[in-house]
Amino acid sequence: MDRQAIRLHINGRDFDIEVAPRKLLSDALREDCRLTGTHVGCEHGVCGACTVLVDGRPTRACLTFAVQMEGHQITTIEAVAEGGELSQLQQALHEEHGLQCGFCTPGIVMTFEAYLSEHPDPSDDEIRDVLSGNLCRCTGYHNIVAAIRKAAKRMRGDGHVAA
Amino acid sequence: MSQPEFRYIGQHLPRKEDRRFLIGAGRYIDDIEVPGALHACFVRSPHAHARILSIDLEAARAMPGVVAIVTGQDLALWTTRHRMAPPIDGIQAVEMDSLPIERVRFHGDPVACVVATDRYLAEDAAEQVFVDYEALQAVTDMRHALDPGAPLVDETLASNLVSHQHQAIGDVDARLRDAHRVVESVFSQHRQTHVPIETRGCIAIWDEGREHLTFHIGCQVPHPYRTALAGRLRLSESQVTVISPDVGGGFGQKITLYREELAVAALARELRRPVRWREDRMENLSASTQAREDLCRTRAAVDANGRLLGLELEILEDFGAYCFYPGNYLARVVAMILTGPYKVQDYRFDVKVVLTNKVGNAPMRAPMAITSWVMEGTMEAIARELGLDAMDVRRLNMIEAADLPYTMATGEVLRDVTPRETFEAALAAIDYAAFRERQRVALAQGRLLGLGLCTVVESTTYGSAFYKSAGIAGSGHEAAWLRIEPSGAVNVSVGLGATGQGYETALSQAVAEGLGIEPSSIRLHLGHTDIAPYGMGSRGARGGTAGGGVLYLCALDARAKVLAIAARKLGLADASGLRMVDGRVERAAGTDWADSGLTLADLARIAYLDPLALPEGMAPGLDFSRTFDPPPMTYSNATHACEIELDARTGGLKILRYLVAEDCGTVLSPVVVQGQQHGAIAMGLSGALFEEVIYDASGQNLTGLLADYLVATATELPDFEIIPMHTPSQFTPAGIKGMAEGGVMGAIGVISNAINDALRPYGVVADRQPFTPMYLRSLLRGGEAAKENST
Repeated sequence: MDRQAIRLHINGRDFDIEVAPRKLLSDALREDCRLTGTHVGCEHGVCGACTVLVDGRPTRACLTFAVQMEGHQITTIEAVAEGGELSQLQQALHEEHGLQCGFCTPGIVMTFEAYLSEHPDPSDDEIRDVLSGNLCRCTGYHNIVAAIRKAAKRMRGDGHVAA
Repeated sequence: MSQPEFRYIGQHLPRKEDRRFLIGAGRYIDDIEVPGALHACFVRSPHAHARILSIDLEAARAMPGVVAIVTGQDLALWTTRHRMAPPIDGIQAVEMDSLPIERVRFHGDPVACVVATDRYLAEDAAEQVFVDYEALQAVTDMRHALDPGAPLVDETLASNLVSHQHQAIGDVDARLRDAHRVVESVFSQHRQTHVPIETRGCIAIWDEGREHLTFHIGCQVPHPYRTALAGRLRLSESQVTVISPDVGGGFGQKITLYREELAVAALARELRRPVRWREDRMENLSASTQAREDLCRTRAAVDANGRLLGLELEILEDFGAYCFYPGNYLARVVAMILTGPYKVQDYRFDVKVVLTNKVGNAPMRAPMAITSWVMEGTMEAIARELGLDAMDVRRLNMIEAADLPYTMATGEVLRDVTPRETFEAALAAIDYAAFRERQRVALAQGRLLGLGLCTVVESTTYGSAFYKSAGIAGSGHEAAWLRIEPSGAVNVSVGLGATGQGYETALSQAVAEGLGIEPSSIRLHLGHTDIAPYGMGSRGARGGTAGGGVLYLCALDARAKVLAIAARKLGLADASGLRMVDGRVERAAGTDWADSGLTLADLARIAYLDPLALPEGMAPGLDFSRTFDPPPMTYSNATHACEIELDARTGGLKILRYLVAEDCGTVLSPVVVQGQQHGAIAMGLSGALFEEVIYDASGQNLTGLLADYLVATATELPDFEIIPMHTPSQFTPAGIKGMAEGGVMGAIGVISNAINDALRPYGVVADRQPFTPMYLRSLLRGGEAAKENST
């Protein structure tokens, strides 16, 4: 199958790669751009492990073709800890033991980095509703919910009224 | 019941593993870059049972990028067959081809392997492999597997009964004959599968010059796996290195050597090129090992007060088409530990395991998962039939502190367990009396509330003596080494295979306690067979007791030597007045301790670089190794309590509250233990309520996607309340008992009991998992008439 030269804009960098039109974004990220933090768990859009941000919105990389992504801003897990410092969400997941094997974790981080930026004060039910798009087989979700709640609180300024 | 005094064990430390996973820098199989690696893809049977008439590879071989296509005939030349013939009464010896040659036995059975330059091309070519089959009758229902004339899953056997064991202790016939009542109950557990979010996969790299195979695979048991892989390839164990990197979940699915993995290894050797394989999700759901699916029946002889006088258990287990494990491996343990927290000495069991045309079974987190449901469901049935309160019946029969040590009818010995204490703690926390009042008021308003309780005695750590007495081949020991380097840096290793449990955190705390240094300064190396010592790996809940235990003992050895060096340096006769704290040596000063000025690094330097300063006769270096065979069996215990509401119109179920009082002895890491409790409960609830591998009558697997095989999401699971209790074992290092599977046992039992409590006004009993809304609604509708008549 003929390959096509495309330019992907990922985490603020340009990647010039050649891919077949049928190549999934998840495979292009992992194989052609060597960004292996995006994980592939089901390849049919259910598990959420491959979630990345496309123009700021959570997107299943396994249901997206790489060639569709020219001209879009892609953000992956590798860009979240700016300068090596964990984001509030990552830090809270660490403190609350919100991850075990870690395979689903990047997808959850990407989903909620986007969600919390638009919904700073979600209820537990709302958190669980959004989290239901990501399967985790290890944690039972309890600690993930606690971590997201904690991160949201900190991102709001620890409950203090913003000046 | 407080935790004994430890300095590092039991500290609330966040996990060491987290950072790399959080920033996307974990290293799972697919993240390992191997230049020039070819990609494998398997051609699989569309039939549950069929004869292979011919395989046409011509079209596929002409496809772009194809390097090789092989079948069972090729693999038979390069590898040995798998033989499962443990010397156990009642088990039939069976063999398995490396890939099927004459017959396929389940929908998804691999028949050919395509190797191409990339995975897309390998999948394209696999579609062009044409296999001509003659479809055969399939066995898809274990209840008919032993019928006269049933098709044989394995033609070399006389019947589909691959394992049959029974034992009778005491006089059960007399107890049944003389009983006030014989209460009979059935429990039907359905087929499930592990669903690690990372599917299986492997990379084989053959070094033709050194004649050495490097095999990367996410694996729970690296060394036993290497033994199997080397043997099947006719290689020495010194010619194979197995490396298990970060693993995205195992739950029992990543223990055995699968045929796909053997094929990939053989192909790398034959092609002299690296070959890699990544299982896709449909393959994982239809061709990786599955679990559970058993039918249990109990008959309990009781007196008028509900006292258990005698008990009979029958188990029929569907083992699938192939024996990746001995046929008695899973169900036999259920029979041996069934009575758990309850006293009964007249007991007999009969365990039949049959082959069917489905994927072969494996242990799945709590292979004995059904145990607590069966025993606690039996207690509930006794109370129901005699019109007694189920809590009173439990109390009447439950083992108490004064009964310990208690020897079960099967010979299993319970020590240092606290079932009565966890039971009372859970009952108090849920406020039983208040619940009954709430339930009564709700019922008057037409709402169905239910409360379940389930007490679990979890067999966590199997010593070699248990395996022998249970008729299971294998050893229960574990191995560790510890090296203090000349700089004072501490490297340690153990034979476990991590799949997300947080070993680097929890086991560091065991080492820290033994040696007297901070957990953060310890580096744990796992999963590499050239680095780690030969241990039995991770299965059951042995990581803490066997792995943590052997590391703790090894660290004690290291501390003794280090302190002996310190004593010599300080001019003391011996080390009795010395201790190590945070990597510094302290000496006794009256009733207090004073810093000696010596650090671990000082002593390491002496051990390696100034051996003449060592005590006379002491060998240089600080290099320690140790093995440890745990007691025959170590038990933890817990009581789960759960409150639900059932929608009488839809059969929908909502979990209103879930709590567990758990006593797992000394806890290495409370962080990790809590995570394991949550995860086990979640897997139990998900399995009991949603998950089900469904085969139709012809043996077609209907649940090959995660859209069909339903794993609970965050919206279906509750918050979990934990009441931690800590009664150390007196028979294990540091009093560690282990845990991680009991949550599954408790969850499936407690949800069953809660549902049946809610169903009580309808006079019906749910005895078949999964408890889907459709099933519960049918019970409610069937029970309507009974309810109408009684009111």
